[in-house]
Amino acid sequence: MTTQTIAVTVNGVRYERSVEPRLLLSDFLRHELSLTGTHVGCEHGICGACTVLLDGLATRSCLCLAMQADGASVETVESLGRVDALHPMQQAFWEKHGLQCGFCTPGMLMCAVELLRANPNPDRDAIVEAIGGNLCRCTGYQNIIAAVERAAELQRTVSEAA
Amino acid sequence: MSTITKSAPIPPSRQREKPGQQLKWIGKNIKRVEDPRLLTGQGRYIDDIDLPNMLHAAVLRSTRAHARIKSIDVTAAAALPGVVKVLTGADIARTTGPLPCFSNPPVEQRCVAVGRVRHVGEAVAVVVAESRYIAEDALDLIAVEYEDLPVMVDPEEAVKATGDGVLHPERGPTNIAIQRRFTFGPVDADFAAAARIVRRKLRWPRSGAQPLETVGAVAEYESGAGKFTIHMNSSMYNYVGWTMALSLGVPAHKINLVPVIAGGSFGSKLFTHKVCVLAASLARICGRPVKYIEDRIDNLTACDNHGSDRIYDAELALDADNRMIGLRCKVLDDYGAYFQYGVGHHGNALSQIVGPYRIRSVDLQVTAVLTNKCQQGAYRGFGSEVANFVIERMVDAAVDELGLDSVEFRRMNFIRREDFPYKIPTGNLYDSGNYAAVLDEALRLLDYEGWRKKQAEYRKQGRYIGIGIATCQERSVFSATEFWMLNEKAGFALTSSPEGVSIKIDPLGKIVVSLNAPFWGNSPETMATMILAEQLKVDPADISVAYSDTDHGLAGTGPGGSRYTVMVAGALVGAAGIIREKLFRVAGHMLEASPGDLELRDGKVGVKGAPGLEKTIAEIAMHAHFFRLSMPDDPTLTSGMDAAYTYDHPLTTLPSDDRSDLGIFYPIMGHMCHMPVVEVDVGTGQVSFLDYVAVHDCGTLVNPMTLAGHVRGGTAQGIGTALYEQYYYDADGQLLTANYADYLMPTLHELPENVRVGHVETPSPYTEYGIKGGGEGGRMGAPPAICSAIEDALRPLGVKVDALPITPRRLRTLIREAQAAVA
Amino acid sequence: MKPARFEYERATDLASALAVLARYGREAKVLAGGQSLIPLLNLRLASAERLIDIGRLDELRYIRLDGNELRIGALTTHNAVLRSTEVAEHCPIMVEAYRLVSHHSVRNRGTIGGNLCHNDPASEMPLVVNLLGATLIARSASGERAISGETFFKGDFETALEPSELLVEIRIPIPVKGHGWSFQEVSQRKGDFALVAAGAMLAIDGGVCRDVRLGFRNVGETIFRLPAVEARLEGQAPSAAVFSAAATAAMNAVAPPSDLHADEAYRRDLVKVLAERVLAAAAARAHH
Repeated sequence: MTTQTIAVTVNGVRYERSVEPRLLLSDFLRHELSLTGTHVGCEHGICGACTVLLDGLATRSCLCLAMQADGASVETVESLGRVDALHPMQQAFWEKHGLQCGFCTPGMLMCAVELLRANPNPDRDAIVEAIGGNLCRCTGYQNIIAAVERAAELQRTVSEAA
Repeated sequence: MSTITKSAPIPPSRQREKPGQQLKWIGKNIKRVEDPRLLTGQGRYIDDIDLPNMLHAAVLRSTRAHARIKSIDVTAAAALPGVVKVLTGADIARTTGPLPCFSNPPVEQRCVAVGRVRHVGEAVAVVVAESRYIAEDALDLIAVEYEDLPVMVDPEEAVKATGDGVLHPERGPTNIAIQRRFTFGPVDADFAAAARIVRRKLRWPRSGAQPLETVGAVAEYESGAGKFTIHMNSSMYNYVGWTMALSLGVPAHKINLVPVIAGGSFGSKLFTHKVCVLAASLARICGRPVKYIEDRIDNLTACDNHGSDRIYDAELALDADNRMIGLRCKVLDDYGAYFQYGVGHHGNALSQIVGPYRIRSVDLQVTAVLTNKCQQGAYRGFGSEVANFVIERMVDAAVDELGLDSVEFRRMNFIRREDFPYKIPTGNLYDSGNYAAVLDEALRLLDYEGWRKKQAEYRKQGRYIGIGIATCQERSVFSATEFWMLNEKAGFALTSSPEGVSIKIDPLGKIVVSLNAPFWGNSPETMATMILAEQLKVDPADISVAYSDTDHGLAGTGPGGSRYTVMVAGALVGAAGIIREKLFRVAGHMLEASPGDLELRDGKVGVKGAPGLEKTIAEIAMHAHFFRLSMPDDPTLTSGMDAAYTYDHPLTTLPSDDRSDLGIFYPIMGHMCHMPVVEVDVGTGQVSFLDYVAVHDCGTLVNPMTLAGHVRGGTAQGIGTALYEQYYYDADGQLLTANYADYLMPTLHELPENVRVGHVETPSPYTEYGIKGGGEGGRMGAPPAICSAIEDALRPLGVKVDALPITPRRLRTLIREAQAAVA
Repeated sequence: MKPARFEYERATDLASALAVLARYGREAKVLAGGQSLIPLLNLRLASAERLIDIGRLDELRYIRLDGNELRIGALTTHNAVLRSTEVAEHCPIMVEAYRLVSHHSVRNRGTIGGNLCHNDPASEMPLVVNLLGATLIARSASGERAISGETFFKGDFETALEPSELLVEIRIPIPVKGHGWSFQEVSQRKGDFALVAAGAMLAIDGGVCRDVRLGFRNVGETIFRLPAVEARLEGQAPSAAVFSAAATAAMNAVAPPSDLHADEAYRRDLVKVLAERVLAAAAARAHH
C-alpha cells in the first residue's frame, strides 16, 4: 500500500515522515515520534484521553488521521513543562491532587490549556464545558475542576507580577 | 460484647507504632511523589514499552456465545505480508497449558479457546505481525466455522441446564459451580421467634471497573536460558504471577515479572493472566518479543473482571423492640463462563455481611452458576459492596414497613463503641469503630434538618427531592483464607498475604525504598515516602522509590482489598527498625557512644540530650559503606546500610474445620456514612444531585488528600453502578454494551458538584499508627445511599428500588406504574 | 482498533473534490471533520476504498446573512456555529440545540455538514434544520440543486445526496422577529445522543399561536415534524391545557423504536413530557 509524506510541526519541531493514510494521529505521535505522553483509552472517540491541540484546538487524536495534520501544528503534553519547570496547569494539578493513575491527565491538561488561552478567567461552567467530555475513572473530577481554577489563579498572579 | 463465644481467642496486637502520636509527616496533605512524571507525560505505561525486534499481537474473538469450533482456516491470514504467525488455540496448547485458576475444583480455561467457545468475545485465534494494524487486517482474513450450542444467559435457566447447555461437562453435569449453605448463629430460632420478618428480592447486575487503560503485556523469551521476562500492568504479579509458569511449562524461576505502572485498576488488573500468558506464549513461539495490548473492545468483551452479578432473596428478622436479629440470604451469582476466584467474592462479603449492626445470626445460601458471558473477577469491593447494598436495602425496607425513622433505627441497631473488638456471627472481627460519631458528623455536614425543611417546601412546589442514607462497612487487609475457605475442599489452603519492602541508604545518605507491589493510581510512593520519613526522621526529598521485579524483590501481595497502605506501613516499620539499629551501631562507633543513648533527629543520629553530639545520616552511611576497618572487628557488623523486611497480616486466624466459624479474615474495619440529596424528574425518570456528603472513618490517615480522592473517585464509580452501568447481554449472549458509546460511565456532568468529604478517625489497635485501608472508598456505600434517596424522593408515590442500575427508563417505568396505581 | 486500508486524496478546492466524487462515486467516502466517520473506520463498522478529505476547503466555512436568509457553509465546525453572534441573534434554537451536541473537542472538528450527511437517527441538527424549514444545497460536477429539509433526510444514516454530490450550504429562512423557541432532549448523559429530542418554535400574535413548529427526533424513521399537531395548535391561545392536549396527540402520533436504553413506552412518555416543556418554553420566550 502506498504511503504519503506529511510534514507536521509537533511541539515546535517540524517532522517529515512517510505514513500510511490510515495511521491515526495518536499512533503517529506515540509510535512514530515516541511522544508517549498522549494516551489511548478507547480509540473510538469517547474518553478523550488522547486529546492534543491541533492548530490550537483541542482534538481527539484517535479521531484524526496523521494525514489530516499535514502542514499543521500539534501540541502535546510534552510541550507544557518539565519536572523542574512545570507549566502552571501541571503545578495546579499537582497541588490539587487532580490525578491518581495519570492516564486521562494529558488529555485533561490539553483541554484545560486550550480553555485558559481563550478564557483566562473561566467560571465553573466554562471549565465544565471544556473538560466535561473527558472521562476520568479515578478522581470523580472534582479535584480536576479545582486544579483548573487554581491554574487560572496561578497564571493571573504571574501576569499581574509581570 | 458479641454473642459468639466458642471461637478461638483473639491474637494479641503486634502494633509497634501507637496511634495518637505527634507526627511530622503522617496526617499531612503533601503533594504526591508520583505526580511530576505523570504530569509531564513521562509515565511509562505498558503500551509505552518498546523492545527491539518486537512484534504485535491481535486476537480474533468469537462472535458466538456458545459453540463448538469446527474449523479455523488461517491460510489467507498467514499469507498477508507483515504477518509472522497465525495461531489457533490448538496450536498454542502444544506448548502452553491451561491458565491458573483459584477455584477448587478448577474450571479449565485457555488463553485461546480450544474446541469450544463459551462467550462472545472469547479468543479463538491470534495473529502476530509487524504492526497492530497489519495484525488486525489478518484477523479479517481468518475463517471460523462454528457449530452452535444452547446459549445460557439467564442464570435462573442456566442452573437447570443439562446436556449441551452445560459449559464445562468435564467438571460435572450442571452449570452449578458451587452450591453451599453457611449458617452462623441460631438463625432458625431467631426467625421463628421474630416479631417481624422483612423480605426483599434484590438484583445487582454486572458492571465493571473500566480503568482508562486496558490490560497489556510485553513478553520476551530468551531461548538460551529458557527464561521469560514479562512486563505487565498487573496488581498481583508478585503474589500469584508465578502460577503462570505452570501454564507456560517452565519452573517458576524461569519467569521474571516486571511491574509497569497501570492507568487504573480498581481490582480489574488483579491478575491479568489471560493477556500475560498469551503474550509469553507468543514470544516463545515466535522467537521475538511480543506486545499484546487489549483494545477497548477486547477489554469489555473478554477481560478477566466483570463484577458481581447477583439475584438475592433476602430476609431480615426483627424482635419486638425493632432490633435486627437475623439475616437470611439466598443468592444466585452469575459468574460467566469461567470461575477464576471461585466464590471468594462471597467469602469477602461474609467479612461484613451484618453491616455495622448487632445482628447475631446469619444464613447464606450461595449458588454460583456458569453462563455464556465473560468471567467475573475483581472490582472495587470484590463482592462486599453488594453485601452492603443488600443489608442497607433491608434496613430501609424495615424502616419503611415499620414506619420508623431511618436515622434513629440505624443508630439504635449500631454496634456500640464499647463493644469493640467485636466478633460478627461469621467469625470475622471488627477491630474498632465509632459508628455514631460518623453518623453524627454526616448529619452535621449535610445539615440534615435543613434539608428536611427544604424537602417539605419543595414537595409543596411539586418537586421530588429525597435525602438518602447508607451506613456501611469498608473492610481492609484481607487474609488469604478468604480465597479457599468457602470451597467444599480447600484446594491450595494458603494463609500468607505478606508485604515486603527493602531500604538502601547510599554512601551520600540518600534512601531508596524498593516496593514489591505496583502503582495503578493508588499512591504507594507517597505512602512509603511519608511513612519512612516519619520513621527515620528524614526529609521526604531524600527518599526515592523503586519497584522490584520478581527476580530481585521480596514477597509481596500487592494492592487489593484496601490493604496496601496498612501492609507497607508494617513492612516499613520493620525495615526502618533494622536500619535504625545499624545506624545507631555505626554512629555509636563514630560518636563513641552507646547505641542505647542515641536518637534519630532531623536527618541525623545524635546523643540524647546533647545537641552538638551528632552525625548526619550521610556521614554514617559513608562510614558504613567504605570504612569497615575503622570499626571494631565483629562478624555481626557488615559493610553497607540496607534492610529488608516482610510483614505478615497483623491479625488473622484459621477458619474452623466445619466452617461454622470462618476465623478472623478481614478485621481492619473502616466505616462510612453517605447521604446524597437527589431530585427526581418524574416526567423523564432522570436523577440529579443537589448535595452529597460522604463521611469516612479509615482510622489514622496518612494523607487526607489522597484518601479523599479515593472517597470521591469511589463515589463516582458507585454512582455509575447505581444509575448508569451494566454489561447487557441479549438472549443470544451478544454483549450489547461492547463499546463506550453503549457502556455508560458518568462524566462530570452527571456527578454531584461537590462530594463533601468528612473524616472521622477511629484508629485500629492492630496496625501501625492505627491506619486502616480506605482505597475502595465511596463505591462501598454510594449505591444503597442513592437507592435510599430515590425512594425518599418518591415516597408520595410509593416507588421501591430493588434493582440496579436505576436508569431513567427503569425509574420512569416504576413511576408510571405507581401513578397508574394511584389514579 | 485500527482502520482497514484505504486510498486517500486531499481536495485542494471544491471543483477538484467534485471531480473526484464524479469519478469514484460509491467507492469514495467523504472525510470532513471525521468525528462520525473515523470511529466507524476504527471499529471497522464502515470501510472505504478511498477517502476524499475535504477538510481544507475553507471556501465552505462561513456564516453569512443574505437578505432574509442565514447561509451556513457545510464545513463550518459545530463550535463556530455555536459561538456565532449571527446564529444566536437569528436562529437561537440552533444555539440551544448545539449545547446538547456531543462535547467541546468533538465540536472543534466536527462540521454541521458532516453531521447532517451522517444523519444519525438520534442526532439533533437534522431536527433543527427541519424546524427552521431550511434548504440544503447540494453540488456535483454537473451542477447544483436545492433539497428541502423534509426530503433530504431519507432514513437512518441515509440522505438524498447522490454519491457524486457534496452538501455545500445550509440556507435558513430567518424566523420572524419575536418568535419563541425551545430545544430540549433527554439523554442518559449530557452530550450523548438523544433518547428523544424535541423542538418547538412559535409566534404569538393577537394572543394566539402562529407559525407553530413542533418536532421530535429518535421517535421513528424519517419523522421530524408533526404537521397535524402543529395545525391543531395554530390559532389556539397558549395554555398548559392546550399544550398538554397537543403533547398527548404527539405521543399518539409516533411509533417509536425500542433499544437498549429506551423502550417504546418510555419514548412515548418522553414525547409527551418534552412536547409540553418545549411548547411552554417557546411560548414564554415569544413576544406577545
